[in-house]
Amino acid sequence: MSRIVLRDLTKSFGALSVVDPLSLDIESGSFVSIIGPSGCGKTTLVRVIAGLEPASSGEVSVDGAPPREARMRKRVAMVPQQPGLLPWRTVRSNAHLLLDVNRRANPNDAADAMALLHEVGLSDFLQAYPHELSGGMQQRVALVRALTLHAPLLVMDEPFAALDEITRTEMRGMLNRLVEGRGVTVLFVTHSITEAVALSDRVLVSSPRPTNVVADIAIDLPRPRSVEVEDDPRFVELCAHVRHALHGGMRGTSETR
Amino acid sequence: MTKRVVATVVGITLFLAAWELFVRAFHVRKFVLRAPSTALAHLWKFRGDFASAALVTIQHAAFGLACALVVSLVLGAALSASRFAEWAVQPVLTLVQVVPWVAYVSSVVLWLGAGDRPAIFMVALACTPAYVFATVDGMRSADPATIELLASVDASRWEVLWRVRLPSAAPALFTASRFNMGFALAVAYFVEGANFSDEGIGSIGRRAASQSSGADALWASVFAMAILGFMGLIALSLLERVVLRWHVSQRPTAN
Ligand SMILES: Nc1ncnc2c1ncn2[C@@H]1O[C@H](COP(=O)(O)OP(=O)(O)O)[C@@H](O)[C@H]1O
Ligand SMILES: [Mg+2]
Repeated sequence: MSRIVLRDLTKSFGALSVVDPLSLDIESGSFVSIIGPSGCGKTTLVRVIAGLEPASSGEVSVDGAPPREARMRKRVAMVPQQPGLLPWRTVRSNAHLLLDVNRRANPNDAADAMALLHEVGLSDFLQAYPHELSGGMQQRVALVRALTLHAPLLVMDEPFAALDEITRTEMRGMLNRLVEGRGVTVLFVTHSITEAVALSDRVLVSSPRPTNVVADIAIDLPRPRSVEVEDDPRFVELCAHVRHALHGGMRGTSETR
Repeated sequence: MTKRVVATVVGITLFLAAWELFVRAFHVRKFVLRAPSTALAHLWKFRGDFASAALVTIQHAAFGLACALVVSLVLGAALSASRFAEWAVQPVLTLVQVVPWVAYVSSVVLWLGAGDRPAIFMVALACTPAYVFATVDGMRSADPATIELLASVDASRWEVLWRVRLPSAAPALFTASRFNMGFALAVAYFVEGANFSDEGIGSIGRRAASQSSGADALWASVFAMAILGFMGLIALSLLERVVLRWHVSQRPTAN
């Protein structure tokens, strides 16, 4: 069964067309990355899928329902680019934020925030405030906060974009450990090729604005994946493949202009 | 922290010493300026009267501030949700702020009668604009990323207001409180003098000003107000330290 289905989806702001007619099926339990240049409309696409912005035309279904309904039932867990932690809440209470609002829609099997915080190595920081954490730690809290919902769909919009390279590598390893075996579908937006290949089962390459999928690349690296996968010749090959698709897409549009 | 207390004490002591010296050196006439020592001696002598008057003045200022705060939170929350409403109400609040309230106090006293009511009303009215502006700015300063995150799980408007917007406004509200504290005491003092009752430090000052021998009492009332203001600011700082533990302003600085 497909977790996300898009049929001829378009989105424009006034005269500005941000998403071209786009059709897409994302299978349940898969990790799918969307990679594309800045400003091509990735965030907009993600916001439409999460039900935060209406589509201009076409159909979107998330978990078999319109996005608005999925949102009301807390079926979509978001990790935004900025962690968006509340500065007056401790790590522990920030991790619980999404369960504290709209409680009627809380799932019966909400995940234990404490256990997750232990799992991402924040046991010693439960009572710390966000300003006492590094950027990587803040983003780990944001990830835990999303996972507590136990939602079938996890949407991450360039969550590691603001982090340094060393921390990003760590975060890739951690994210793979967290989602493998959880059965969650992940839609991951990035503009890092390494990140997309290391994490995904499938990479969708977008053209510059308006967003359109110019390549759909299956990542056949074995799971579970550790950081060592990045030394695999197949990994290097796939990265090159994505890079060519990305630059081909960019060249393609500039030639038509 | 101790350094800070020492600095405060040094600053105030120097100021009072300079004042004292000025009055003694130039033999300033009684009503113009009294030496701090004379005023403080009078204050100490009649400390019982001043203490009970202070209690009344504190109540006027505190109730007035509390009313202003409650009204401002409700009004501010509404205005922060609508630009149109903000543009409509802002000029009215600015008018309240710039029109000299001293000019219409007697009308308010006629309307509300003598006693506590005109004092509390005037304090509340005078302190409302700054609180409303602070609430609107503070609520608008809430992190859009967090608000969008809460929208993604369909949090209600009320939940967003309560969990994100209101706490975001807390720092601005404390800043406005520092300003309003002095304002509230000044308004309370003045209205107590104007409302034909004999309660509050303002009424002591008023009576003293109308007697030729009242200079000591007048300046003692000035000192009493200064002490109240100072205590109010200390209380506010302590509260701030607890409530805004998480805020940048409360983090230890290098020195
Ligand atoms: N609410 C909005 N109103 C008008 N234009 C918008 C809005 N949101 C995004 N855009 C425009 O849509 C384009 C794509 O933005 P975005 O989806 O944020 O791109 P990306 O995430 O790929 O960097 C940009 O040109 C941006 O200015
Ligand atoms: Mg973006």
